[in-house]
Amino acid sequence: MAGNLLSVEGAYKRFGGVHALAGASLEVSAGEIVGLLGENGAGKSTLVKTLAGLHSLDAGTITLQGRPFSQGNPRSAREQGIAVIYQEPSLFPDLSLAENVFVGRQPTTGGRVDWRGMVSQTQGLFDGLGIDLNPLRPARGLSIADQQMVEIVKALSIDASLIIMDEPSAALSAAEVAQLMTVARRLKDQGRGVVYISHRLDEVTELCDSVTVMRDGATVATAAVAQIDTTQIVRWMVGREITEMFPKFDAEVGDVVLSVKGLTRAGVFHDISFDVRRGEIVALAGLVGAGRSEVVRAIFGIDHHDSGTVSVSGSVLRNGSPSAAMSAGVALVPEDRRLQGLFMPAAISRNIAMTVLARLRSRLLLRGISERRVATDWAGRLQLKYANIEDPVERLSGGNQQKVVLAKWLATDPALLIVDEPTRGIDVGTKAEVHRLLSEQAVRGLAVLMVSSDLPEVLGMADRVLVMREGRLVAEIARADATQESVMTAATISGALA
Amino acid sequence: MTGRNVASTALKAREFPILVALAAVVVTTGLVNPTFASSEGISAILIESSVIGLLAASQSMLIIMRQIDLSVGSTTGLVAFLVGQNAAANIGVPFAVSVGVGLAVGLVVGVVNGFLIAYLGLPSLVVTIAMLYVVRGVFSHLAGGETITAEQVPAPLVELGSGSIFGVPYLFVCALIGAISVTLLLRYSRWGRDLYAIGSNPEAALRVGIPVARRTFVAFALSGIFTGVAGLLLLGRFSFADATSGLGIELYVIAACVIGGVAIAGGVGTAVGALIGAVLLQTITFALGALGVSQFWQQAVAGALLVLAITFDRVVAVRSARRVVRRVEVLA
Repeated sequence: MAGNLLSVEGAYKRFGGVHALAGASLEVSAGEIVGLLGENGAGKSTLVKTLAGLHSLDAGTITLQGRPFSQGNPRSAREQGIAVIYQEPSLFPDLSLAENVFVGRQPTTGGRVDWRGMVSQTQGLFDGLGIDLNPLRPARGLSIADQQMVEIVKALSIDASLIIMDEPSAALSAAEVAQLMTVARRLKDQGRGVVYISHRLDEVTELCDSVTVMRDGATVATAAVAQIDTTQIVRWMVGREITEMFPKFDAEVGDVVLSVKGLTRAGVFHDISFDVRRGEIVALAGLVGAGRSEVVRAIFGIDHHDSGTVSVSGSVLRNGSPSAAMSAGVALVPEDRRLQGLFMPAAISRNIAMTVLARLRSRLLLRGISERRVATDWAGRLQLKYANIEDPVERLSGGNQQKVVLAKWLATDPALLIVDEPTRGIDVGTKAEVHRLLSEQAVRGLAVLMVSSDLPEVLGMADRVLVMREGRLVAEIARADATQESVMTAATISGALA
Repeated sequence: MTGRNVASTALKAREFPILVALAAVVVTTGLVNPTFASSEGISAILIESSVIGLLAASQSMLIIMRQIDLSVGSTTGLVAFLVGQNAAANIGVPFAVSVGVGLAVGLVVGVVNGFLIAYLGLPSLVVTIAMLYVVRGVFSHLAGGETITAEQVPAPLVELGSGSIFGVPYLFVCALIGAISVTLLLRYSRWGRDLYAIGSNPEAALRVGIPVARRTFVAFALSGIFTGVAGLLLLGRFSFADATSGLGIELYVIAACVIGGVAIAGGVGTAVGALIGAVLLQTITFALGALGVSQFWQQAVAGALLVLAITFDRVVAVRSARRVVRRVEVLA
């Protein structure tokens, strides 16, 4: 290996009784892109946060460019040349992009912040990466992809030698991921080291030179990408074989449950019509920003629609009323479970039973007991991994949190389940379990509408694929005809109809 | 910057609409009641806005970093009282000592607030409400029924309270200097930029290594010193202090900040804006008086103005968000 840039050896870190890192190691060379893989809870985040200066190791050594890395201070970590790009960058919405790039170390002349210099330096860095953004505009309202670009520019402005990208692609569209990869390769060509964390194995194998796989806080394997395949990577990650990523059972397709006709919300989506039947899983595919989440929000009544109708089991829902949708048997599992789906500090049982509280309220004294009974029942069916049903949800891993959201809504015994990005940010093992769960529910007669940006998931799970582009429904593709190409073509190229 | 640039920057500033509103109120009321827009009338408004204006300027610093200090009313009154009492008990005490006493009292309260909020992580809303009562309680105990009257007030403060330069009351000059200093400090020092960053996204501020706790502590301490100065101005203004001095003014201070374009959610605004907000609030109160509206209605209008200010802010925010969404749609 050419010039070893970063070397982490024998890293240990405990939080209370939990061993977050237990013998982790990581090697990165200059001009190399390393894929860091592992299930949620494998210790990647802790390792990244340590390198970002947010944690200090209990034991182990970190060497950066031949010198010991001084831990536990974010500013010092940056000064030593490590920059971290997070999945959801935390920019300062009220500050200009220029100031976001230079925050905390604004250029000064005679002790005075040099605004003009700051703006022109930022413009220069933007130009260098081909980023078309005005350094003077505030960060508020930037797309996630643009926010990440600002973070990358920030990394360049401190001349970072090692750039860590923590699940950058999770919220990006395919085109944006391609742009991100281009930039990552450019960083590599400049002789910088890149650590790329992603749950999407195809991305990792396409972009990275080598992979390091973590499990239960330890590094279990490191290999050059050229010498391995994804099956091997998955085996390392989960420590077992995953027999079926997309368990799809044959379900009997019955009556129409959801019927959407001419649904329009001015400037957002236009003339959307489709049906979903009992036992069917229908995927709503398209690029980020195509209006998919907005359509399901309107179906559920979170947003008003301007014209058109939504009917469930034959009766038309009141416009803009989530409670009407819920009493008609519609359940929505939102995209952002942290913000919209869960009360993080509340108990698992309380979260699961929340939607059925009305039913439980009749027996006031027994509520705590029935809450636990409902919750334990669903936790068992979903194979939730928890210590105590009364533990706060925030203590669960991301995948298990998602199961809690699903349980919460399935407990209402819905006729139609809408899931928005059901497996975003979830490790492969849990992902397969969520898929199995959706499939089982379909067999039991549930109608499922799934918004997903994960193409293999769409192809693996859906009976029919509806493709949206720029607020319009542009294609309906049957399971037999759905391929990566047919879906992406419909999603990206105007005029193409499948 | 070219002249055109300066003009366009000024037009785009958040403070601009408030200045327009201010001018509109002065002109229309002046047409109905000419004494209102006279130099005496304006001077009276400026005098009346000074204490709240200075407090608002210093408060803006805290609101910008997503904190709040509701103890300023009690502290301002306590400072005014203690300075007067100290001067009365030690006849011939140098003025510098009086100033020192005032600033020290303000600083002590600021440091206590800052310590509890920055290092113990307690919410500033609760801490400073508690301090509002604690300080007022201590104040009432110290003051009892005692009052500070004109002859006990240090002479320079009396002069400060009544004099003017080029028709601008000294009191307002003090407030203006305070507001401009805070504005420049926040615009041109890294320390000040950190406050905006903290208010805009506290978690991200920690991530980029801004010493959030230290910045918070120092900001509260500094705000305490400004409160000390405000106490001196208050004593000079009325040449009088008793256990009720400064009672309830903290809410006018917060209102002045919000009306002056300081976003209550942090990250946005300037101290000069907050001062203009204080002047506008005062001007409207005076204008309603000049138009013969009863005092009770004056308070209701002040409240309505506050709602108007945040509504305006919200509309602007929603509009710019829509623009961004449209842009994203075009790209997608």
